[in-house]
Amino acid sequence: MSEQSESVFITGMGIISAIGIGVDETLISLRESKSGIGKINHIDTIHDLPSAEVSLTDNQMMEILNIEAGQIVTRTSLMAKIAVKEAITQAKLTLDGKFRVALINGTTVGGMEKSELYYFDFLENDKYNEYIEAHDCGSCTESIADYFGGISYVSTPSTACSSAANAFILGQNLINEGVVDIAIVGGSECLTKFHLNGFKTLMILDDKVCRPFDETRAGINLGEAAAFCVLEAKKTIDKRAVKPLAKLSGYGNACDAYHQTASSPEGNGAFIAMDMALKTSNLQPTDIDYINAHGTGTPNNDESEGRAVVRVFGDNPPHISSTKPLTGHTTSAAGCVEAVISILSLNNNFIPGNLNFSQQIKTLPFKPTEINIETEVNHVLSNSFGFGGNNTSLVFSKIESAT
Amino acid sequence: MIINPIYINGIGSISIQKPLSEDGIFNPVSYDTPRVSCIEPNYRDFFTPAVSRRISKIIKRSIITAKHAISESGIEMPDAIITGTGLGCIEDTEKFLDSMIRNEEKFLKPSFFIQSTHNSISSQIAINLDCKSYNNTYIHRGVSFENALVDAALLFKQKKIDSALVTGSDQMTPNYFTLLKRIGYWADTVNDTLQFVRNTKTKGSFSGEGSISFMLSSQQNKNSYALIKAMDLFYKPTVPIEQKIEQFIQAQGLNIEDIDIYLTGMSGDAQNDKVYTDIGKNLFLSEKTAFYKNICGEFYTSAAYGLNVAASSLKKGIFPAHCLQDGKERKNTTHILFHNHFKNKDHSLILLNKCSN
Repeated sequence: MSEQSESVFITGMGIISAIGIGVDETLISLRESKSGIGKINHIDTIHDLPSAEVSLTDNQMMEILNIEAGQIVTRTSLMAKIAVKEAITQAKLTLDGKFRVALINGTTVGGMEKSELYYFDFLENDKYNEYIEAHDCGSCTESIADYFGGISYVSTPSTACSSAANAFILGQNLINEGVVDIAIVGGSECLTKFHLNGFKTLMILDDKVCRPFDETRAGINLGEAAAFCVLEAKKTIDKRAVKPLAKLSGYGNACDAYHQTASSPEGNGAFIAMDMALKTSNLQPTDIDYINAHGTGTPNNDESEGRAVVRVFGDNPPHISSTKPLTGHTTSAAGCVEAVISILSLNNNFIPGNLNFSQQIKTLPFKPTEINIETEVNHVLSNSFGFGGNNTSLVFSKIESAT
Repeated sequence: MIINPIYINGIGSISIQKPLSEDGIFNPVSYDTPRVSCIEPNYRDFFTPAVSRRISKIIKRSIITAKHAISESGIEMPDAIITGTGLGCIEDTEKFLDSMIRNEEKFLKPSFFIQSTHNSISSQIAINLDCKSYNNTYIHRGVSFENALVDAALLFKQKKIDSALVTGSDQMTPNYFTLLKRIGYWADTVNDTLQFVRNTKTKGSFSGEGSISFMLSSQQNKNSYALIKAMDLFYKPTVPIEQKIEQFIQAQGLNIEDIDIYLTGMSGDAQNDKVYTDIGKNLFLSEKTAFYKNICGEFYTSAAYGLNVAASSLKKGIFPAHCLQDGKERKNTTHILFHNHFKNKDHSLILLNKCSN
């Protein structure tokens, strides 16, 4: 898998997470290292675990989106609609059928947030029947597509925490092969009791703030978010006279093939994904200015990812940080949340620091970039690794440096 | 979309028919209930008891069908593993959900959660094969399998891969059957599943389940089943679907008359089936209209079974009478147009050719 593909560019971004509604607020939070991690408000759970929720309630989001009360909505699809709206607005994309547009939405929880409330009703009575079909992930994608209209291709990749990153790969391939002209790619995932409890049973949630790449790290803080990017090739960019924000230079997708929920100690899948992303980008490791790490803060991930980084970049890797102490681990949406952060890093020439760091991991030769740094950033590698060893790496490049 | 020729060189199928066999296609059994479960292979032939206990049914089925397809193809290791599934590991999801609600978030076991993510099918196949190559999973309702197939086709077209293992897999649990029954998915009574699609036009169908794996390759070999010549997938087409089909056929240098079989996702549900019968009438394909859900039942990835029927019948040179609207067996079929839709919103088209050997 080393053939070079035609380049695609990002012409619009949208994001909603615990660190802000929209790209502007997100940039301010990144600049000010303002974390969104706090107490859980939107779900009714017995667990008091630090988590990063979107501040808006469902009703507030419905108001923003002009969705009438009483409509069948899920939080995941509401967040997605807000992010898509921002992305297509920035990309000046009107969905009027002039171009063939795909919507590719990475998600895993789908409508679980309603299913976990109404599951016994589903089984016993007809009270909440309208939410039964909202359970599957594809219905979430179609609900977003139908809200905007003018979408001719929909798809729902689901590879747990790398879902949104894989949406970029499909988007690029669909554009390159002329199946669609433009692809809106990303992911959305609201916090649910289901995966909060799931991660809890795996004992990978930290009851303090998460500390990626720190010797004392003890797990994840979950978050919720939606983020989408508009992808297109030079042809429609010229035709539509829009300005590209960044280039998707390359990607790597590999499977660790080690364990359903643990990474191999040597980071085999991560190594292949990063190596392939560099090769398809036609870049050398030294060309990368910043690695936005998967960096969940679990003992297993950070060591495994760290070793893979050393295998690709050597003992002195470029600037590397995990932005999960800011946004929380936004699971299926993380790939696009971090794509947006990577592009903000490129276009504002700064490296967001890895918060909550104090002690270097003993078995790794490097430490993360602790505080925000102003420096020229031309190429960013973003890692997204999911359960099952579904590892994806994306490379984003600044437009001036993009060839 | 423009694709490079893709050869189907191996198939593994576990369904409500005899497992890992073409018998189900040519000599299927009939059932008299709206919920039919898979005929399981003997898992002890494939897994140690310890492993068998640890992994869930849908994953076991998929690993077995994957390995069967791979061994038929003569290729040792696929360049990509891609799975389509509508509901993923729904049995584990339900167990975790049930226990979480019942026990108010206490005393939960991780094993059900671990296997609940949809991508655990693709990744468990990869772990079993020790295959570190491209790995992906698509969940998109009634076209989940076709989404996986498109992903593979794009990679073939870009020459990034020479082979791909593509699986469609879904399980129907008693609880999910109940849920879908509430919203009209299933007929109340079914007397003869084999005749259900041809004779019944009511509300709902009968439910099946299955895991069907395909080993796809850019190269033909002596065991090749069929050739995927073209495919397309679209959402809410703005022009009539008939027009889309005509364009699709013409883009391949063919005319509608060249199509020997119009294989459809007819399920016995009147609303679902009308889409196909209208096309049959409008495009003069009525006599050539065929179906497969009478053999495998309705499930989100039943299209994978449809592809199995198309490919296996092209290889054998016989299209079975029980799958044709007019009940007459066809021989020497060359071109099969496979059309599947979900709620008349998502549509997939696949053109299959007989291999020239």
